[in-house]
Amino acid sequence: MIRLAEISRCFQGVIPSIVVTSDSRGVPNVTYVSQVHLIDEKHVALSCQFFNKTRRNLDENQNAWVEVYDPLTMQTYRLRLRFLRSEKSGPLFDAMSLRIQAIAAHTGMSGVFRLIGADVFEVVSVEKNEGYLSEAVETEEDVSVDGLRSEMRGLQYISEQINRTGCLEKLLEAVLESLDRFFGFAHTMILLHDECSGKLVTMASRGYGESGVGAEVRHGQGLIGTVAQERKLLRISGLSSELRYGRTVAREAGSVTPEVPLPGLPDAQSALVIPLTVGDRLIGVIAADDRDPLRFGEWDEAYLNVIANQIALGVDRMTEESEPPIVEQQAPSPVVRSSNKRVFTFYPNDDCVFIDGEYLIRNVPGRILWKLLADFQREGRTEFSNRELRLDASLGLPPIKDNLESRLILLRKRLDEKCPEVRIVPTARGKFALQVHAPVELVEK
Amino acid sequence: MRRTPIDEGMSVIVGTVSPDGKPAGCRAICATSKDNLQTMTVYVPMATSRDVVSNVATTHRLAVVGSYPPDHSTMQVKGTTTNVRLATDGEQELLRIRLDRFADVLHSLGVPRRLTRSISYWPAFAIDMNVEEVFEQTPGPKAGTPIR
Repeated sequence: MIRLAEISRCFQGVIPSIVVTSDSRGVPNVTYVSQVHLIDEKHVALSCQFFNKTRRNLDENQNAWVEVYDPLTMQTYRLRLRFLRSEKSGPLFDAMSLRIQAIAAHTGMSGVFRLIGADVFEVVSVEKNEGYLSEAVETEEDVSVDGLRSEMRGLQYISEQINRTGCLEKLLEAVLESLDRFFGFAHTMILLHDECSGKLVTMASRGYGESGVGAEVRHGQGLIGTVAQERKLLRISGLSSELRYGRTVAREAGSVTPEVPLPGLPDAQSALVIPLTVGDRLIGVIAADDRDPLRFGEWDEAYLNVIANQIALGVDRMTEESEPPIVEQQAPSPVVRSSNKRVFTFYPNDDCVFIDGEYLIRNVPGRILWKLLADFQREGRTEFSNRELRLDASLGLPPIKDNLESRLILLRKRLDEKCPEVRIVPTARGKFALQVHAPVELVEK
Repeated sequence: MRRTPIDEGMSVIVGTVSPDGKPAGCRAICATSKDNLQTMTVYVPMATSRDVVSNVATTHRLAVVGSYPPDHSTMQVKGTTTNVRLATDGEQELLRIRLDRFADVLHSLGVPRRLTRSISYWPAFAIDMNVEEVFEQTPGPKAGTPIR
């Protein structure tokens, strides 16, 4: 009998599988199933969402027949199954549910498009569907030893970066750069959890053109928000197929909830999203996506999980250090001068700052910017300290774990992108300068 | 407009069950109907339909699902078989064209045409059936609702 591990590609959900069951009167029923979950060599689980007839049939006749597809070769394999039980909670249910929950969140169908049960089956037999293809399609071998060595070097490099660097910004950028260099993850982002707003804020990204730094994701929103909410890793292959399925359900249910734009590649076919946690505490989320529907396998999941744990510990350590050493700070961006006036507008009701009519930044970093600019305009001040920001109650920094450094990084990056004539430059441990190289006007509405 | 299993570009699957209650299925190349789905003919490749043909020869029960991959619009028909025969040479061209149309649809979703065209389609069996029940099967809360 073929080992299920040999055909693991068939269980990544890229091509829907087919399930045939029968009732006690011998009337067959055919349905597609989005997920056949490989448990071990003797067991698989099917996601029970809407196919009630299949569910009723299994209560009458425990035999089932499933055909799964290799998404690279289109070869099919036939599994004869015997229904054992339906799990409505536990690790298996949670693992299968997360994937569905994330697609539901992305298509505005949370609570409607959901897993009812993880139906567990004994695998009675597995056979290749001989004769299905008129000619075999050749595929490349999976992983070369060279690749594995490179990835081990990558793990070592990232581990060293996290251990040595004292600067959050440098750490995040080094991690994404090495994920690209050693692991071939070309499209990645790291979002950190902001306890003030309860949202995730994009702090670093790579491979998306626009940096997206400052983009926010609510808990439970889309793939990333779902991972943050559930604090569980999510790996999805054949993302477009899953989203089409979710959109079909949304359309059939008459949903009017607007779809959340997927952060990252607009045409992503696969995604790997991992929560950054220390104990039970959420630090953030690291996400990678790709146009290849089979880009992320179990191996990628395993080592990115290791890296995620290290990042979480590194970020947590740095946010506990109230004053990072100045020698570790990133080099400031080049000076940009302009004689054109830049107009900053603060909207207190919305707690956000616009630059020349375009959104710049919100919440605590927005209030910090407004304070710095107001002091500069009123008193000509250019030198500031982290300590005075912490003591300024109007900024709303939390008393413990205020993440001031990550907020200043965010502010600095947003200024670099939207108003390079105004810069925040570290000058000494816990101190920084506001450099203004253009006429500025401040408007409060 | 509701899509049916006889439309071009549909992914068509047949399901059967043996006399001792063991289900089996296979991919069909296409289905046709001359009387608005009162009766239907389903074409299955000989290479992959051994169990299906064996089952319908004894139980006569057949379920056929047609699904349109881009939007998952799906319909299931159920009925009894009236005849199983070898598809004629005159029907071979129809099967080739339908497989090409299916390849076009999957190509629009990123599946290379050569992969879909590598599916065996000839020689084939033609299974004639009386359609007794028709169900909506598009994923969602209405899945399983009888249409006829």
